[in-house]
Amino acid sequence: MNPAPRKLDLAAWDERHEQLRQAGLREPDYGGSLRRHVIHGQDFRLEQLHFDNSPAALRLWNFLLTENERLAQARAQGDKIVGTMKDLGTVPVMAYALPGLRAFYPDGAWWTPCLMEGSDKLFQQADALGIDASFCPARAMLGAFENQEHFPAPDLLICSTGAVCDDFSAIAQRLEHLGHPILWWEMPRRRRPAAGEPPCALPGNLVAPKMLVDCVQAELQRVREALGELAGRDLDDLLLARGIETANQVRRLLAALRKTVYAAPAAPLPALEMLVAEMLALHFCSDRAESLTVLAGLLAEAQSRLQQNQIIIGPDAVRIFWVNPVADLRAMNLLEDLGGRICGSDFMFSHALDLIPEDLPPLEALARIALADPMVGPTSDRADRIVRECRENQVEAVVISRIPGASHCAREGEMIREVIQQQLAIPAIELEIPPVCDALLPALSSRLQALMEIARARRTE
Amino acid sequence: MRVWLTSPWIPAEWVRAHGLEPRGLWFEDQFCSQVAPGSAGVCAFAEHAVQVAETQPDAAVIFTTTCDQLRRGFDAATFQGRSRGFLFNVPATPSPAAKQIYRAEVERLGRFLLELGGVAPTPEVLRREMLQADETRRGLREAAQAAPACSVAEAVAGCGHRRAFSAPGVAPSEPLVPLAVIGGPLRAAEGNLFEAIEAAGGRIALDATESGERNLCPVFGNADDPFDALVAGYFENIVDVFQRPNTRLYAWLKAGLSDRRARGIVLWHFTGCDLWRAEEQTLRETFGLPVLPLEAAEGARLSPREVTRIEAFIEALK
Repeated sequence: MNPAPRKLDLAAWDERHEQLRQAGLREPDYGGSLRRHVIHGQDFRLEQLHFDNSPAALRLWNFLLTENERLAQARAQGDKIVGTMKDLGTVPVMAYALPGLRAFYPDGAWWTPCLMEGSDKLFQQADALGIDASFCPARAMLGAFENQEHFPAPDLLICSTGAVCDDFSAIAQRLEHLGHPILWWEMPRRRRPAAGEPPCALPGNLVAPKMLVDCVQAELQRVREALGELAGRDLDDLLLARGIETANQVRRLLAALRKTVYAAPAAPLPALEMLVAEMLALHFCSDRAESLTVLAGLLAEAQSRLQQNQIIIGPDAVRIFWVNPVADLRAMNLLEDLGGRICGSDFMFSHALDLIPEDLPPLEALARIALADPMVGPTSDRADRIVRECRENQVEAVVISRIPGASHCAREGEMIREVIQQQLAIPAIELEIPPVCDALLPALSSRLQALMEIARARRTE
Repeated sequence: MRVWLTSPWIPAEWVRAHGLEPRGLWFEDQFCSQVAPGSAGVCAFAEHAVQVAETQPDAAVIFTTTCDQLRRGFDAATFQGRSRGFLFNVPATPSPAAKQIYRAEVERLGRFLLELGGVAPTPEVLRREMLQADETRRGLREAAQAAPACSVAEAVAGCGHRRAFSAPGVAPSEPLVPLAVIGGPLRAAEGNLFEAIEAAGGRIALDATESGERNLCPVFGNADDPFDALVAGYFENIVDVFQRPNTRLYAWLKAGLSDRRARGIVLWHFTGCDLWRAEEQTLRETFGLPVLPLEAAEGARLSPREVTRIEAFIEALK
């Protein structure tokens, strides 16, 4: 019989893993105890985190933490590696549609200094390359490219540019100056159609001028040709359509998981595992088929727990919507330790959670989803979606976490907060989470506690 | 009506051809590098654009998508209908689709200008404005070879909104250390950066700020349709840091630094300007010249600390 859901620290998970193993737990080839990631991968942050105790969560963590090994194995087997940057969720759908290609986001290196608690020295290397701490933690990517100790050097680098974050654009340009050629593709700023301009519906209840969709489609055609050349075969519409179908399977699973967990009266899975699960939408953690299995396992676990009235965070917890990804994973634990639970999230890639239209020519469908990126449109569009999801999940308070150094954070938080307060009249705070937030825990705790207090006080008003 | 432009890559000729008055925002009289308290990380230039949009109801501000700060600044300025503005999408890449976007944006700007009370230009009016701007820029490009940077900057400012053009004076001939100033918008005519450099024994051999000689890059060809020539003349000649890749900027700088024999680079940027700050080391590596990064201070004038840094930089180069 499965034990009741609870959160375990790393030592407790060692014990739990051994018990599961003796009880006959069957793990994939990347499975094993979480401890080994500390010993062999120097992922010291794991020692400060609390994890869900389910085998499904174990599989999720092992899947996440073995990605670099997976990429190296793929390279050794002759696969071509594509580094896709910034677009968050579109180009990987294209790359994985072609046999023999693996796509990943070098951007993801931004969590490496957190996981390795700075022992990776990636920030110091970025400093030495001229990109200092005034830039967002994605700068860790520069060091990872230079030292080649994390992910393999991609065979092709693709980056969206235009209406994207300055930090990332500047870091990627620095990367190119350092000798890593990049295929840049234009991402225009999304706007609403003017009077008389043919409109085009986008996922996420958005709309843009048809002309912008056509331009993005033309840009994605360039990407398609480059991927085809790398793979040695055309990325035709049939392959692309199949790729979209599989990506949508991942998105449907995630949508079901989010609905099951966020809408439930009490949380069957913790916030930290949900954050990691959402990240799988971006590039399937470099294994599309396995990401489906991992997500299906989490969904089954969440549903099973709810059926058995098993929860991990009680119904009294304050229902929080979280905006922007956290540079330190520990912040997710902290929120729950202080009496909150996540009931909605916008980790800057809500478009990667939406279904890609399957009733359109595939490249046009991808152009539409790319243009629905919350970061390329007006802040008010992003705020509207946040408000909508807050309403759906009876959210009681909103946390807007600033990403250190990120250019978009200087203004958007205030605007989002204003909309939330006007339309929902619920409390919202803005706080900054650094890659290792230990030194700021007292201050972060005080602010989060104050938010919970206010949200709780409003229950009795 | 006055139309403030936040980037030199918005065709001022197009605004003038509509009968309106274009001005570079960096030459706005009340320009001050200050941001509102509590807005950490906000660029003062973008903040100024927001303030102008909110406080000058009889004018319009054309924001651009060239950086996150201006994009978000537009969002803030127009948030919940607070003020009137236009966000001009200047593409970052040179692809055919990007050119199509640029062309559509010029057309859309035209419709906005009509809403402001502008008059739809005839091809002849547009051609005349373009011809005049072309001649002015050509004259300034030639004059910039030898004229003092301050007067070139003033003249560049003038070509954005004045029809008359008088060539700037000739630079002093005494041996001064030739420097390039590279970076974002700079209110050269009234700021004391150039004065501080000259007082320390330096000379601005190349003003490659957004308000300087890079402004003069657009050149119009002989297309039958003046609108086609306008679009191509701008789009194909944008020289800026936000372009991806920004090879055009580096090619332009390479020629300029070599022609003017610059011995050092002053990199001028606003707080929070990732795009320029990220180029510091690349500039150093590419051109083999020392680079002095300078951040726009609170207020319009340089702080004593920055003046000392400039003095030390030039002294080391003597």
